[in-house]
Amino acid sequence: MSILLEQVSKGYASNQAVVNNLSLEIETGELFVLLGASGSGKSTLLRLIAGLLPLDKGRIWLHGREVTNLSPQQRNTGFVFQSYSLFRHMTVAQNIAFGLSIKRAGRAEQDARVKELLNLIQMEGLGDRMPHQLSGGQQQRVALARALAPEPEVLLLDEPFGALDAKIRVQLRQTLREIQRRLHVTTILVTHDQDEAFELADRIGIIEKGDLLEIGTPGELYRRPRNRFTATFLGSANLLPAHRNSHHIFVGEARLPAPPDSEHLQDQPVEILFRPEEISLAPTAETPSETVIGRGVVQEATFAGPLERVLLKLNRESNGEKAQLLQALLSPSEAQQLGIKPGQEVWVGLKNYHLLARVS
Amino acid sequence: MREISVRSPLQMVVLGAVLLYAFLLLFAPMAAIVVGAFSQGVEALIKALSVPDVAIAFRLTFSLTIASVAINTVAGIGIAWVLVRHKFPGKRLMDALVDAPFVFSPVIVGYALILLFGRNGWFSSPGFQLAFSYPAMLIACVFVSLPFVTRELQPMLLALTGEQEEAAYTLGSSRWKTFRRIVLPQIWRGLLYGIILTAARSFGEFGAVVVAGGGIERVTESAPVYVFRALNDRNQVGAYGVSLLLGILSISILVAMSLIRRRGAQH
Repeated sequence: MSILLEQVSKGYASNQAVVNNLSLEIETGELFVLLGASGSGKSTLLRLIAGLLPLDKGRIWLHGREVTNLSPQQRNTGFVFQSYSLFRHMTVAQNIAFGLSIKRAGRAEQDARVKELLNLIQMEGLGDRMPHQLSGGQQQRVALARALAPEPEVLLLDEPFGALDAKIRVQLRQTLREIQRRLHVTTILVTHDQDEAFELADRIGIIEKGDLLEIGTPGELYRRPRNRFTATFLGSANLLPAHRNSHHIFVGEARLPAPPDSEHLQDQPVEILFRPEEISLAPTAETPSETVIGRGVVQEATFAGPLERVLLKLNRESNGEKAQLLQALLSPSEAQQLGIKPGQEVWVGLKNYHLLARVS
Repeated sequence: MREISVRSPLQMVVLGAVLLYAFLLLFAPMAAIVVGAFSQGVEALIKALSVPDVAIAFRLTFSLTIASVAINTVAGIGIAWVLVRHKFPGKRLMDALVDAPFVFSPVIVGYALILLFGRNGWFSSPGFQLAFSYPAMLIACVFVSLPFVTRELQPMLLALTGEQEEAAYTLGSSRWKTFRRIVLPQIWRGLLYGIILTAARSFGEFGAVVVAGGGIERVTESAPVYVFRALNDRNQVGAYGVSLLLGILSISILVAMSLIRRRGAQH
């Protein structure tokens, strides 16, 4: 285990807990993404690990060494800030060499390491530049090199691409992924951007109001979330109240086979989760009948790049319940075949679905 | 900045009035001092400046200046640091209090020191009296020149945000090393500016120093205090001569300040 957090809590004065009794294990060489909205406590958690903030309760281990009460200087972490925070009065090379010079590495060793890292971040020959002569993307790459130079045990990145243009951001993600894979350095990256999380993460941890709600690979969290917040926070989600007995799920009048991974939810109030791309629409009810959940009326259809986004109002057979709005994504050919237009009636089927415990 | 060249007669009149005003207020007194100092010839001036009292006064003034600069540099950095980097109750009050020396008359400061440290003062003890002594003068100097370093450094530390320091900490750099290698190189210009202002205020201070020190001849008589006594004694050449030396010091400080400012603007 590379990073081990045990019931870590942190509250600021006069406020409720910012990080609340949080435990987490991260494997060596893993790239773990902490995903959460602003104010969720994700950056605070990163600062606690780096020792930049004292924690109120709990313990932290890095590579088997307890660092709970150690200063940031003693923890051997590399930290990258959203605003780069390069030393403005030093050249790129001096910035990168700073950690080594603190450790009193020899001049030759420093030079060699600087050259190696400039190479790694694809900025050969720019060692003599000053930070203000660099673009934002270049500055952040230097910040990464500076953090990596002393060979930290863990790399901590706090919204590292947050201040960059969309295009640069995507490039830098790839650079970071390659470097992280090559160096095999255990990494935690904090972000609010789910695309970033999906693209980079070995595992994602969803953090909300100081609680770590759920951990899993991007695929697991997207397809089989256990938590409603996770389901709605990652991508778009359609959620309908449902009931499960031993073999089936009942959504309104519709009866669907229960997914095998939902046995623990038997005879409990549940919600059925399906993604917009998991909806199939048909003009008649003749599509595989067991997945049909009802009839809907197209509210609007909008162009969404490679796919067509369709907003549906689901008319439940059982009356008295409020009509539910559903989001569907169709391929342009599908949409054309059905002749999707507002006001049109369609049958709504599910290609795939997942069950969640319903919290009242 | 855009500069306008003078065109109309009205503009010329206004410009002329401004220049005349500045000349009368700034240059005329300096000219008067120079003329006064040399009024009885160079020999008389040299003689007037050669009396031991003058040497003692200048020694005292320099000593006060150096000590007060040293104290206020360290204290000023500390106060600025605490006010920018730390959160504590009463922070805003303390921030406002830093300006107190600007608004209090120096004479009041000197008098307050006598009340504190004089005979029967709050902090006086039998056999040891701080009032009318070098320490009292030093406290007076330190007090009146306290805000300069702090006020110069506060905006600079604020602009540094603290993240560079945090980055340095995670790279293994101790607090002191971080200050020396990361913070100081980025604030030294402001620090130097604050130090020069502190020095200027300290060596020119009269009111607080004369009250707190008592202006005892050859003991607590700093250069500005000597000027005052020389004038009372109708020792015109002595008064003008010491004033001339103090004036030369002031002008060197002005030059140094404008050099620092111009260098700073280039960066």
